[in-house]
Amino acid sequence: MPSEMITLQLGQCGNQIGFEFWKQLCIEHGISPEGILEEFASAGSDRKDVFFYQADDDHYIPRAVLLDLEPRVIHTIMNSPYAKLYNPENVYLSKHGGGAGNNWASGYAQGEKLNEEVFDIINREADGSDNLEGFVLCHSIAGGTGSGMGSYILEHLSDRFPKKLVQTYSVFPNLDEISDVVVQPYNSLLTLKRLTESADCVMVLDNTALNRIASDRLHIQNPSFAQINTLVSTIMSASTATLRYPSYMNNDLISLVAPLIPTPRLHFLMTGYTPLTADHELNTAPKIRKTTVLDVMQRLLQPKNMMVSLSPDRTNQHCYISILNIIQGEVDPSQVHKSLQRIRERKLASFIPWGPASIQVALSRRSPYVHASHKVSGLLLANHTNISSLFDRCLQQFDKLRKREAFLEVFRKEPMFKDSLEEFDESRSVVDDLVQEYQAAATPDYVHWNPESSQI
Amino acid sequence: MIHDALLILWDCSQATEMPPNRSSLIFEEEGDAEIYNRIWDVARSHHTIQNYVETFGFRSRKLQSASGLKTSGLYAQALSEGVTEVLQDYKKTLVEVESLIIGNHNYNLSFVYSYVGKFHGLFNTLNKIIVTIKERRLTGCQILSLTHQYILNGNEMVHEAVIKIFTCINKVFVNQLCTWLLYGELRDPYQEFFIYRNNKDDNISDTFLSSPSTNACDKSLVSTLQDTIIDCGYNLNPTMIPYFVPLSLAQEILFIGKTVILFGFDPRKVKRSSYFMNNRPIMPLQKCGADSRRFTIWEEKEAEFHDKLQKLKNPEVFEVCNLRSVVRDIKECVTKHLWTVAVEEAQLIHELRLMKDFYLLGRGELFLELLRLTAPMLDKPTTRTSTRDMNHAFQLAARAVFLSNSADIEKFSFELPYVKPNISANSSIEDDSSTVADGWSSIILKYDFKWPLHLLFTPEVLARYNDMFRLLLRIKKTQHDLHALWKTYKQSTSFSMCQLHNKLMFLMDHLQHYMQADVLETNFSRLMDAVNKTTDFEKLKKAHATFLADILGQSFLTVISSSDSECSGDTIDSINNPVFCNIMELIKLCHSFCSMGDLVTDKEAEDYYIRGYSDRFNKLVKQLMQLLVSVRERPCGVYLARLLMRLDYNRWLSGEAQLTQSVTNMLRY
Repeated sequence: MPSEMITLQLGQCGNQIGFEFWKQLCIEHGISPEGILEEFASAGSDRKDVFFYQADDDHYIPRAVLLDLEPRVIHTIMNSPYAKLYNPENVYLSKHGGGAGNNWASGYAQGEKLNEEVFDIINREADGSDNLEGFVLCHSIAGGTGSGMGSYILEHLSDRFPKKLVQTYSVFPNLDEISDVVVQPYNSLLTLKRLTESADCVMVLDNTALNRIASDRLHIQNPSFAQINTLVSTIMSASTATLRYPSYMNNDLISLVAPLIPTPRLHFLMTGYTPLTADHELNTAPKIRKTTVLDVMQRLLQPKNMMVSLSPDRTNQHCYISILNIIQGEVDPSQVHKSLQRIRERKLASFIPWGPASIQVALSRRSPYVHASHKVSGLLLANHTNISSLFDRCLQQFDKLRKREAFLEVFRKEPMFKDSLEEFDESRSVVDDLVQEYQAAATPDYVHWNPESSQI
Repeated sequence: MIHDALLILWDCSQATEMPPNRSSLIFEEEGDAEIYNRIWDVARSHHTIQNYVETFGFRSRKLQSASGLKTSGLYAQALSEGVTEVLQDYKKTLVEVESLIIGNHNYNLSFVYSYVGKFHGLFNTLNKIIVTIKERRLTGCQILSLTHQYILNGNEMVHEAVIKIFTCINKVFVNQLCTWLLYGELRDPYQEFFIYRNNKDDNISDTFLSSPSTNACDKSLVSTLQDTIIDCGYNLNPTMIPYFVPLSLAQEILFIGKTVILFGFDPRKVKRSSYFMNNRPIMPLQKCGADSRRFTIWEEKEAEFHDKLQKLKNPEVFEVCNLRSVVRDIKECVTKHLWTVAVEEAQLIHELRLMKDFYLLGRGELFLELLRLTAPMLDKPTTRTSTRDMNHAFQLAARAVFLSNSADIEKFSFELPYVKPNISANSSIEDDSSTVADGWSSIILKYDFKWPLHLLFTPEVLARYNDMFRLLLRIKKTQHDLHALWKTYKQSTSFSMCQLHNKLMFLMDHLQHYMQADVLETNFSRLMDAVNKTTDFEKLKKAHATFLADILGQSFLTVISSSDSECSGDTIDSINNPVFCNIMELIKLCHSFCSMGDLVTDKEAEDYYIRGYSDRFNKLVKQLMQLLVSVRERPCGVYLARLLMRLDYNRWLSGEAQLTQSVTNMLRY
């Protein structure tokens, strides 16, 4: 069972998107909510073993660890039809159930306290796999548990499993609406530092953009969490399609990630997906649209389909570091070359000036058990320098709070910040460096760039 | 006098041997001499014909074959029989004349001549045929062909006579054709048919490692790949094909017979004959048990086809178009049967997918696992146990990706030919990596296919598939090695190191992407389209051959010119396509880069190596782009342009390579 992935779901948001992800995988692989392989799916040539393993009674069990400090979401999961899917030993709820109070520091401290128990679960799960390739961490960077405890786990995963890949699906808060979590900018910044330093690959899921896509593209007035999470699970399942449906290449995570990330710290990836259909539209008036490879590849390059909200690039200086398109469906393979050529001729995508860069196109199968409303669908994974604008916004919000010294007392309560607030400054400088580096990567001089020189 | 004339006309007198001696003959009337001369001409023609008939008649053939000579044959015999038949008229006329002369002594020479004179034209024609046969030493079908040429004659009598003769010869031909078409038997003791059997079995090579074909262009590669060894050694003899049979028709006839023979070899029917497995393709049909000859191909149609063929014996019916239509009918029946056996029973489409999954690494995850298990072993020269270890690893890998219980896995196995390293005195210190092939260049994937798919998967085809397999495996391995270093270099502080690693990784990834989308998937979907469109096995075979030739050509595995290639035995080296050589050099560079970690200890050495590798990389990439100029006109030029379009997508490589204006212009792909 090579190249297995263990999914860690942290906090309210992490568990919710994880739940949707497993739901989607079950449907795609023909596994019932109880973990039993459906009759019609018995002859499939898909690889279920990357994300599932089989128990003694042939039930499929997700390689998932569910962690939370408060019981609400996990209880919802455990009361859903999917309750029997998970290994109950892998569901960890903190005993007091008080949560982290949307406080990064509290989450981090509790992570430290619970680290023995949590890593016991992770170790056991890792031992159960043949050739573990890495971990997928689902969390939000704004709350308490996902961000704080997530940060702690991130830091220690790379210590304990130095050779394993750590990929995160990190949900960035919606900046268009006023959050009920006032310390969100603090939490985000502190988490961003860990994501920069300890993760190998961060899939940025920006709630701002997801909401915008839900309302603009799917015409949902007030998108619910569930609807947003469906979007997320679509992306998560598509981005793992090449692992689950064997083909020539991209059979392991590293082969997806390595070509996208040429330099160590620039590992924040944007995603895009097209065509999107909402459930309510599917039933009322299905818009029949012709989808071709070229069509899909062109749409994927449009900012409106990007699941990250970037500030407009007025000076037109930003560019792609790398692009990977995963195209699924009934594809005429000869179209791939033509589409690539067309995009190149029309200069629809600008690339870095300091190294070779190109659009990789991976063709993948689709689940035979899911009805697809479109002939061709595509996922874009891109490393774009303009993602720095997202971090820049986080920095600005952080600075606004920090200047007023607002809400710092909740952090001072925790041991980490008792004596000094150095951690804030350190994190800020790490994120600032990241922004600088991304901006530098858009210029030919990036070859000579080093973080020390920018600090001076 | 008149008796003399009759005697020579009967061919009873020696007088025909020499020209008439005017002095010895007394002519009754003036002008009789002239008439006698004419009679003598007729008689002499008759004599020559008679001679021929006797030499090639049945009796003489029996005598000759008893004494081992094979100058005559069935066709010649048929000819002489036909001629004899024609001569009956002449003889009847003579009898008539004779009786008239006996009854009335007043008849003179001109009376005799008035009867026999009409045979002059006929005998001339017959003699022409005979002389031509003798001069050109024609045998078999050539005689048939020649006779056919004389059918059209203004002289009604000659026309009918030649038709009679032709009918005789044609019987032989149709009989041979009939046994060949319906039973795949060649009843041809004198090698007269236009299909012959060469007993040389040198064309059967069971090595999968045969050196690449030396064909210059793709067209002929397609045809080589189509060549199959169902021949059982049967082939067309072009000199024997009658002029009225077009080559294409002759080929169809050959094909039908071969296919019929093939069905005779159906292992399901001759299981009992144990010696079958040992000498499968060359075994003469006669040895097969009688049971195996009970062909089921024809079913109830056997009689129908037989009748149709027998009707061809009638010269009225024997027209090329009729022959063609019968052959077409039979061929249709044969190909339909072949289709049923190959495509439906042997599940050809499924097998084609298997070829893609295994030979073309379609099951990436299986080979990834296999590489993990066997890479160290394949790096080293093969040993005696390599084959066994490799197959064991293959089983393990299959089990790891849950493929082990699939029956398809059983069909594939590996072989690593063990070559005993020749240890000479001076080679002990020198690098032996160049002389002894490592696993990567010698590994063979074997495939145990169902009967009768050897029609499609000939040794030549499998050898080419193996070429593809080795290239793809190498690329996958290199890519895997480079990816494995990613995590390491992520922590490295040296930007140049990262950058070089990226460039190499970029190159391998995009080479892989090019292979997958532009070469393999594109051509495979084309093949599947073609397969779905046809129910003709021959067309399918052609589509498959085209597919294989295309993927080889587009992977730059074809040989560009055969003249200067030295067969060095090492397969990889003997593929002299410059693009391929360049790619192999790049792969080698990646290998050295990956193994650098073991060699380098300090920073300085690392810098030194990185500089060296970077230079080499730039040089090779530049070379690759410049190659486009030289191969632009060749078919692979288009594909090199495609590959380069992917590699130079953001125009960085071409900018870096600082090409001249003309090359840059060419790089517009």
